[in-house]
Amino acid sequence: MMVVKRILFFSVLTSCVLSAIDLRINGANTGGFWVFTDTALQYKEHFEDKLKLNGTYGDLSLRTVFFTWFPSLPASLVESLTYVDYTIAYRKTPVNIQYGRFYTTFGRGLCLNQYLDEDFRVDNSLSGIKTEIEIYKSKFTMLIGKPRNIFFEENKYKIKNDLTDQIGGVNLDVGLIPKTALGGRYVRINTRNDLDPSAFTELYGGNLGASLGPFEAYGEYAMQKGCYPVYGGRLSGKGYLTTASFSIPRLGIVGQYMDFDSLGFPYGATYRYNEPPNPIKAGIGVTRGVDEKGYGGTITFTPIDILSGEASHNRLFTHDKNAGVYETVGKLIGHPNDRMEILAQTEYIIRDKIEAIVLSGQTVSYKKQEVKPMLELTYDLGSFYVEASFEMGRYTVEALALKSTYMDQDVSIAVGKPEFMVLTLKYGWRDRTPYWLIDKITREKSWPLVELSWDISNRHNLRILAGAMRGGVICTGGVCRFEVPFKGIRLTMTSLF
Amino acid sequence: MKKTLALVLFVFVFAGAAEDSIPAPDFNLKDIDGNPVILDSLLAKGPVFMSFWALWCKMCIKELDALKPAYDEFDSLNVNMLAISQDKERAVPQVKPFAKSHNWKYVVVLDPENIMRELFNVQAMPTSFIISQDKKIVFTHQGYKVGDEEKIIAKMRELFEKGGE
Repeated sequence: MMVVKRILFFSVLTSCVLSAIDLRINGANTGGFWVFTDTALQYKEHFEDKLKLNGTYGDLSLRTVFFTWFPSLPASLVESLTYVDYTIAYRKTPVNIQYGRFYTTFGRGLCLNQYLDEDFRVDNSLSGIKTEIEIYKSKFTMLIGKPRNIFFEENKYKIKNDLTDQIGGVNLDVGLIPKTALGGRYVRINTRNDLDPSAFTELYGGNLGASLGPFEAYGEYAMQKGCYPVYGGRLSGKGYLTTASFSIPRLGIVGQYMDFDSLGFPYGATYRYNEPPNPIKAGIGVTRGVDEKGYGGTITFTPIDILSGEASHNRLFTHDKNAGVYETVGKLIGHPNDRMEILAQTEYIIRDKIEAIVLSGQTVSYKKQEVKPMLELTYDLGSFYVEASFEMGRYTVEALALKSTYMDQDVSIAVGKPEFMVLTLKYGWRDRTPYWLIDKITREKSWPLVELSWDISNRHNLRILAGAMRGGVICTGGVCRFEVPFKGIRLTMTSLF
Repeated sequence: MKKTLALVLFVFVFAGAAEDSIPAPDFNLKDIDGNPVILDSLLAKGPVFMSFWALWCKMCIKELDALKPAYDEFDSLNVNMLAISQDKERAVPQVKPFAKSHNWKYVVVLDPENIMRELFNVQAMPTSFIISQDKKIVFTHQGYKVGDEEKIIAKMRELFEKGGE
């Protein structure tokens, strides 16, 4: 039987290769090796590699992902993560069927949002089957699958959810009437913590959108019905969001308002299978759909070719306004001439009682104010360019009767040659570390960094980094990505083929 | 199982390496105005340039701003210029006002589920591609450094001089 299977497999494979006119293959590989120290100043190693291979044969496609992560700690302390994912898809209008691992978002994510964000190292997927049918400018989706939520925190990959959970759902987006969008959806979730098989949780939702000239408006409502996990009792939640925008050449305005009450699922867990959006650009949530209300507005403009800018104010808080995030961002970009760019930016963020620290054995929530001005100058010298930046952060932290202020500063200079190489030198320092915040903001007082990004060819890039990073969204060597706090040496090779 | 896996890998890589330029995968998405964006329809008009970007990606926006002055030249030569937004659903309402306010004339495509990113195996932001009219990826570029736009513009001019291949 085994021999017959192998012959059959190789026959299919050979016939695919021989009729290569229909066979399309592409792939990518990202490999990284790190040597770094943790907060206890212990040296650790990290090896990860992600190989992706996509093959298309007519209307059929196969997508495979081979992922390996090996930390240096013994397996009893930190488990390595290795997986092989595959998706077999059949796409022929009007049908799209996927079997294996896939991602999906219903509406704006109030009912279901299992997504991949490789720049932020978030991989929330479903393994099962998804069918989509597109007819009469409308799309109907049916799916069933088991979720797997992978996060990268404190230099470790972790699967955060219960892998026995199961999700089924349907979604309908109707586009029959021009300039309008109408949608409806239903999601059913069974978890191991359900009291019995009939105590599952359901989410219902609908949306309506319309556009008229430069104006656009969108509203979405969702409702959750189910049982509280473990101890029982009826769980009932609801939430809605509205957005309105105005867009004309050189000017864009967006306003958002949202109110979510017990909509986050699973209730009480640190992970989510839905993710109601919020207006905070810094990516901070308060309770992620459990008890949140917020609004925000952004204006972006380019009044003249040499000047563009952005102003934004956003708020997100609990219904009793006891905890929340308040954010104001201002940005101006000037191009005095073809060779020069000047970027000036300021962020002001207040995080009120959304994070906690341990003080005298007690867990205490605190308030943190951040003011972060930044100035960046880029000058193109023809065969190469120079980029210099200065940014600082002034932080005021209050908890109980304690109040402390400290400042972070960063200077960086990058020299780059197009299509070849960028060398970045960065130095960050902190004026003082309040003793009661040492466990929260680390004992580090300086962050020196050297990074070399080398384009070996258009399809291959090698990145060598040595030093320390505070973490956050970092743009060096021509690319932007999210980084966790890090101190050590890192080599990353990216290839497309 | 391991041997089979190794063989599959070998065949895939071997088959892929047989050509210098990679065949472009088909796609069918929507732009910020709800219009369908289908690769075959675009190629019927001319070659395709596309750049993957996101609102949080400073380098991506710099690249698209730097290519803005070349838009009219390539549009008149029937080159399709696409800006593929990788912003998630939470940021989708901001994409159109942002693109309009930057006075971009590119076709801005919404890809909140990263379908395009997976199809084209984008590993870094930004990444740009040029697809010739015979549906081959003839140019790939990862990241953006000041001056990279000259290389992209030169490649598109070269492609057009060859008659879109």
